[in-house]
Formats: sequence, structure tokens, C-alpha cells
Amino acid sequence: MKTIGSEPVYEVFARRVDGEPLRHVGCVAAPDDALARVYARSIYDEESWIEMVVVPRRAVIPVESVRTEAVDAHA
Amino acid sequence: MSTPLLDRPSALPREALPPLVDLVVALADNKHALGLRYGEWCSSGPTIEAGVAATAMAQDELGHARVLYGLLEELPGAPHRSEHEWAAEDARTVGLLEQPLSSWPHLIVANVMLDQALAQVLDAALESRYLPLRQRTRKLIEEERFHAIHGRGWLLQLAAEGPEVRAELEGIIGQAWAETLCWFGPDAGGALAPLVALGVLREAGEPVRQRFLGTFAPLLHGAGLAAPVRAEGGRWVLAEPLPWSRWDEARRRVRHA
Repeated sequence: MKTIGSEPVYEVFARRVDGEPLRHVGCVAAPDDALARVYARSIYDEESWIEMVVVPRRAVIPVESVRTEAVDAHA
Repeated sequence: MSTPLLDRPSALPREALPPLVDLVVALADNKHALGLRYGEWCSSGPTIEAGVAATAMAQDELGHARVLYGLLEELPGAPHRSEHEWAAEDARTVGLLEQPLSSWPHLIVANVMLDQALAQVLDAALESRYLPLRQRTRKLIEEERFHAIHGRGWLLQLAAEGPEVRAELEGIIGQAWAETLCWFGPDAGGALAPLVALGVLREAGEPVRQRFLGTFAPLLHGAGLAAPVRAEGGRWVLAEPLPWSRWDEARRRVRHA
């Protein structure tokens, strides 16, 4: 499980208008999905988003990444 | 034929004004105080995210108070109140908010109890016949949804820390119990009953208290916290009667024993 400190990290995505793709706006650390939603809403309030979602970083499935052999071996 | 809406203050029957004014003052004063108390934790939360969330809830509550004080300005005979002239000495706030919330568990208990109790009373105004109240209530309720998620999440987190924290939470809940549950009014609504009869509120008193307990009691049980309430015959039954002899209806406060 990837964490900042001791809490899981959630990636935050949002869009401002219909038709615009969801874009990554940042991340939050939270103990669970419910608090991740609250924190994302509280922290990323600079726009009037029409949609915001949070995704636990552990749910992200890597497709491609530039990584050293040592990192790959560790993973 | 649908019941006509009361679309302006002058459309309100005279008997509705005193209880409506008292209710709006008490709602606004408590939301203003809650905003201040949440805000005092903006840089002291257990995590940065928790502090930011407390700040966001503070902004929401102060905004709600501003909206409700604005509603008050339109009501004949209402005391003058605003966020700028709010006077702590005559504020109709519950005891829990008279002093700064001294710990994060205190903040979370205020969040899950008082914040949600006020939200339940506002929910009873969502279909209010009094249009100015109805129009303002929906956005307030929408923002309260996140306050409920925050309080629930944190209560469960804190309770999971162990028996000492659970004992602390139970103590704070015990201190806030009577005043929070009395806030909905006596069984038939007390002073709020005329507002129910006129359709300004959907319900008051015991039905709203049962609705609050329907969410709060299972939350306490899920957190492993003891509470003086049990489920019986499809209702929530309190272990001890509420102190109605000390209930100040106009100020919505329980007088000290």
C-alpha cells in the first residue's frame, strides 16, 4: 500500500464543465474512502467543479513507466 | 388543490412569527458558534487534511449563519443580528459551544451530534410553505452532507484507537447528550408546533429526535461506544428522561441544574 506518512494516498480527479476530461488535480492522504472524499472537496475547492472523484493510489494499475531495474526488482 | 406558499414575511400568520424568529436565531447563533469553534482547529488538526477539512466546515457553518441572519432581517420584530454584531453574551448557543473545543474528540462530537441535530431541524424545512426559508435550506443541507461524512469517519477512526479514547468520547457525548436531544423540542414540538401546523416545518419534536437517533445510535453502536439509548419496538428509547423542567424553549438551552 502506497502511503504518505501512515495513511493511504488517494489521487483526486475533477472537471469544470461537461465534455472536459477528468484531470488530475492532486492527492490527499486519508484513512478511508469516506474521509478521502471530504478532504478532496475541502482542499481542492479552487474551482466550481461539476464532478470530482478520488481513486486510491493502490487501485492504479501501471501500464508503462520509466523505471530502473533496481526499482522494478523492488516492486 | 395544493396548499399556497407563504412567499413573503407579510404572508406569515402572526402566531408564526415568535416561534419562527426564536428558531432562526437559535439555528444561526449555533451555526455561527460552530463555525468559530471548527475554525479554531484550522492549524491544529491531527493531520493537515483534517485541519483543512475543519476550516472548510467552519466556512460552511459561518456561511449558513450568514444566510439565516439574512432571513431574520426580513422577519418583523426579529432581534438585530449579524455575523458582525453577533454578541456572545446573549447568543442562544448550546453549552458545548460556549468555550473552545478543547480536543479533537470534542470537535468530532460537536460534528456528529450538534452539527447533525441542526441539520435534521433544517431538513424539516426543505418543503417549507414559507418560501424564503425553503429557498435557503436546500444548499445548507447539501453542504451538511459532507459534514456528516466527516464526523462519521472520524468518530469511527477515534473509537478504533482503543478503550481510553472510547471512554473520552463517551464522556463528551454524555455532556452534550441532553442539550442536543432537547434541541428538537418536546414530543409534540413545543413552541415549534405552530410552525408544523402552518407547514413552515414538516415536523418537530419527537419525530425529528427519532430521525436523528436513527442515524446516531447505530453509529455509536458501530463504533463500540455506549449510549443511553436502545432500540425497542421500532423506536429509539432513551434510558433516562430528558430534563424538560430545565428546558428554555425560547433560547433552546437546558438551564444548569
